[in-house]
Amino acid sequence: MEAFESLLYGFSVALQPANIMYVFLGVFAGTIIGMLPGLGPISALALMIPITFSMNPASGLILMSGVYYGAIFGGSTSSILLNAPGVAGTVATSFDGFPLAKQGKAGKALALAAWASFIGGTISVIGLMLVAPALASVAVSFGPAEYFSLMLLGLTAVVSLSERSLVKGLISAVFGIMVAIVGIDRQTGTQRYTFDSLHFLQGIDFLVVALGVFALAEVFVMLLQGRDAKGHAKQVLGSLKLSRQEVKEIAGPVGRSSIQGFFVGVLPGAGATIASFLAYITEKRIAKDGNTFGKGNIKGVAAPEAANNAACGGSFVPLLTLGVPGSGSTAVLLGALLVMGVTPGPMMLEQRPDVFWGVIASMYLGNIFLLVLNLPLIPYIARILEVPRPMLLALIIVFCMIGVYGLKFTAFDLYLLLAFGLIGLLMRLNGFPLAPMILALILGDLMEENMRRALQISGGDWMTFIEKPISATLIAIALVSLIVPPLLRGIRAARTRLREAG
Amino acid sequence: MFTKQVFACAAAALLSTGAIGTAVASDWKPTQPIEYIAPANPGGGWDTLIRTTARVLQEEGIAQQNFAPINIPGGGGAVAWAQIAAKKGNPHTMFAASPPIILVPLSGASRFNHKDFTPVARLITDYSILLVRADSPHQSAAELFEAIKANPALSVGGGSAPGSMDHISVAGAAAAAGVEPARLNYIAFSGGGEAMTNLLGGHVAAVITGAGEASAQLQGGQLRALAVSAPERMAALPEVPTYVEQGIDFTFDIWRGIMGPPDMPEAAVRYYEDMYQRMMQTEGWAKARDQLGWIDAYQSSAEFGEFLDGQLEQFSGVLGDLGLIRR
Repeated sequence: MEAFESLLYGFSVALQPANIMYVFLGVFAGTIIGMLPGLGPISALALMIPITFSMNPASGLILMSGVYYGAIFGGSTSSILLNAPGVAGTVATSFDGFPLAKQGKAGKALALAAWASFIGGTISVIGLMLVAPALASVAVSFGPAEYFSLMLLGLTAVVSLSERSLVKGLISAVFGIMVAIVGIDRQTGTQRYTFDSLHFLQGIDFLVVALGVFALAEVFVMLLQGRDAKGHAKQVLGSLKLSRQEVKEIAGPVGRSSIQGFFVGVLPGAGATIASFLAYITEKRIAKDGNTFGKGNIKGVAAPEAANNAACGGSFVPLLTLGVPGSGSTAVLLGALLVMGVTPGPMMLEQRPDVFWGVIASMYLGNIFLLVLNLPLIPYIARILEVPRPMLLALIIVFCMIGVYGLKFTAFDLYLLLAFGLIGLLMRLNGFPLAPMILALILGDLMEENMRRALQISGGDWMTFIEKPISATLIAIALVSLIVPPLLRGIRAARTRLREAG
Repeated sequence: MFTKQVFACAAAALLSTGAIGTAVASDWKPTQPIEYIAPANPGGGWDTLIRTTARVLQEEGIAQQNFAPINIPGGGGAVAWAQIAAKKGNPHTMFAASPPIILVPLSGASRFNHKDFTPVARLITDYSILLVRADSPHQSAAELFEAIKANPALSVGGGSAPGSMDHISVAGAAAAAGVEPARLNYIAFSGGGEAMTNLLGGHVAAVITGAGEASAQLQGGQLRALAVSAPERMAALPEVPTYVEQGIDFTFDIWRGIMGPPDMPEAAVRYYEDMYQRMMQTEGWAKARDQLGWIDAYQSSAEFGEFLDGQLEQFSGVLGDLGLIRR
C-alpha cells in the first residue's frame, strides 16, 4: 500500500507536462542510438550532462534514464535485421533474430522483440518499486566468490551452445577467454598479451569483437556467396502478428527471463549483456525444442530481449539505493546526479523522494512510449531489407565502422574490427560455433578476476567457493546442468538398447 | 590582400574587446576551440573535472573560446598522454591530471610522466577515507592496523589496481602505522563502487576510497569512517578524525589539476592560470564545487610543478616499499 502511494506521488512528478516531454525525448533519442550498430548509450549520456545540469534533478534523471533504457530497447532492431548488435546487451538477440529475418519473418521477430522488451521493462519497474530497498542487500551479498560461481554456471552453457562439435565449441570458448585476458591485469598491474602496444592496454572492447564476428563476417559470407545467392536474397518483412499458439509459447520464457534479468541487473557489474546471455541459455536448456535455438526459434528472441530490458531496470537498484553504479552507463548517470546536487545512496529515498519515485513512475510511461513508438515503425525500419544487396552490405560496413570508431576514437580499433571479421568468417567456414566464444569473452574476464580476488581474500583457500552458501548453490546447479543431460541421454540410450535386445 | 586586411582588422577588434572586457595577465589568447581532454571514460573523476570546469567557464562568460570535452580512455590515462605528448607546444590542448600521472609511469605502464607535460594549474583536492562496516570490531585506524599486524590476511579493498591511488594511500598509512606495506592484503576492485558493495556485504574488512564518494554511504549509517587523510578534520565530515590525530603521521591529497602538452608557450600558460583563478572566484564554481564535495586548492603553474616533483619523491618511496616500481 505504501509503495502504491509512493508511486502515485511518483506519477505526480512524472506526469508534469515537461517531464512527459523529457520521457518522450529520452526514449526517442535512446531508440535511435540503440538502433545504430555499435553506438551505445554511454556517449549519448555523457553528452547530456551539460544539458541536464540546469534542469531539476528529477527531470534530468528522467531524461537520461529514458535514453538508457530506450537504447537497450532499440538495440534489438539491428541485431535482428543486420546481425549487427545495436548495443552490447542485444548480441544474444541476433542468435535467433537474424535467422528469423532470413526466413522472411523479420516483422515477427521485431514485434516479438518489442513486446518482450516492453514486458521485461515493465516487470523490472514493478520490481524496482516493490522491492528496491530490500534488494540492496541481495546486491551486496554477492562477493568475489559468488560472482565466480555465477560466471562458472554461465560458462557451462558452452556445452549446449556448441552445436555439433563439443571440441570446436571448447576451442571457440578458449579463444574467447584469450581475447578477454588482453590488457592490464587489474590484480597485479601486469600487462598481458599487449605486445607493448598502447592500444591493447585497456583490453579489446566487447563490441569490436561482436560487430566483427557477427556483422562483418556476415558481410563476408554474403560476398562469398556472390551472385548465385541473388535468387533467394530477397527478404520479406512478413507478418507482424503473433499467433495465439506463439503467444502461449513465449509467455513462459518472457516471464522467467524478465525476473531472472531483473535480479542479474541488480548485481553490480553483471548488467544487461550477461542477463541476456543467461536468459538465452536457460531457455535453450529447458525448452523441449532446444535444438532449434540458433536457427530461428521465437523463444530465442523473446528471452534475451525480456532479460536485457529487465536488467536495465534492475541496474537502477544499486545506483539509487546504494549510490553504486553497476555499469558504465549507470556510472555516467551517477556522475550527472552528483553534478545536479543529488547524492544517490541509502538516504536518497528520504531526501529526494521526488527523484526516486519520479524516475520509477517515468519508466512506466517510457516503456509504453517505446512500445507505441516502435511497433508502428517496424514496417518502415524493415524497409532496410529491401535495399539492394550491394548497398546494404556497404551500409553495414559503414555503420560497424562508425560504431567501433565511436568507442575510443582510434583507427586501430577499425583494424581490429576487420581482423575479427576475418576470424568470424574462418570460424564459420570451418564450423566453429561463435556463441561459445562470445559467451567466454563476456564471462571469462569477470570470472578470472573474481576467482583471484576471492582467493586473495581467503588466503589461497579454495574451500571459500564451497563454504559460502550462495556460491555453493550456484556451483551445484552448474554441476547438475553438466551431468544430468548426458546422464539422461545415456539412460535413454541404454533403455532403447535393452528394448532392442529384448 | 583584401582578406588579409580584413583579418588584421578582425584580430585587432578582438584584441581590443578582450583588453577592455577583462584585465588579462597576458596578451596571448586562444584562437581556436580548446581540446579539453579527460584521459578516461565518461563518469570518472577526470571526466567530472573537465565537464564541470568547461561548463562553469562557459556559463560565467570567462572562456573566450569553446572548451570541448573529449574522452580518451585507455591504459589508465597512458593512451591519452601518448597522444598529448606528441602535440608539443600546442596551446589549444589541455587535460585533467591527478596522482595517476605520477603513479602510472612509476609502475611502468606509461612512457610519459608529469615532467613531459606543462603544469597549468592545480585546482582542487579531496582526501582518502578509510571505511569499515558499522558493526566492525575496529574502532580506529590505529586499531585496524594493529589487527592487520596480528592477522595479515585481513583484506582492505580499493577501487583501483595495485600501485595506483587507492593502494598507495592505504599502504602509506599502513606503513606510517608500522605495518609492512608489502604485506597489506590489498584487494583491487574495478571501481570505488564495487569496493563499497563488497564492504557492505562483508566480503572485505575495510575499504579505502575518496571522501567525497563516501559521504552518502556514511549518512546511511551502514558504514563507519575510521580516518581521513587530510591534515585537519574536513569541514564536510567533522566527526571523522585524521590519521595524524591517531598518532599515524600520514596525509594524502587526491589533488586534481589541469596540464598541457610539452613546451606549452609561457604566455598561454599565464593566460590559462589567470582564467582558472577567475573561474574559481565565481558563484557557479562555488556551487558546483560544494555539490561535488571538492575543496579548492589552487596552485599556479610554477607551484604546481614543484608540488608534482615532491609527489614523485613521496610516491616513489611508497611504491619502492611495495616492490611495485618498474621502469
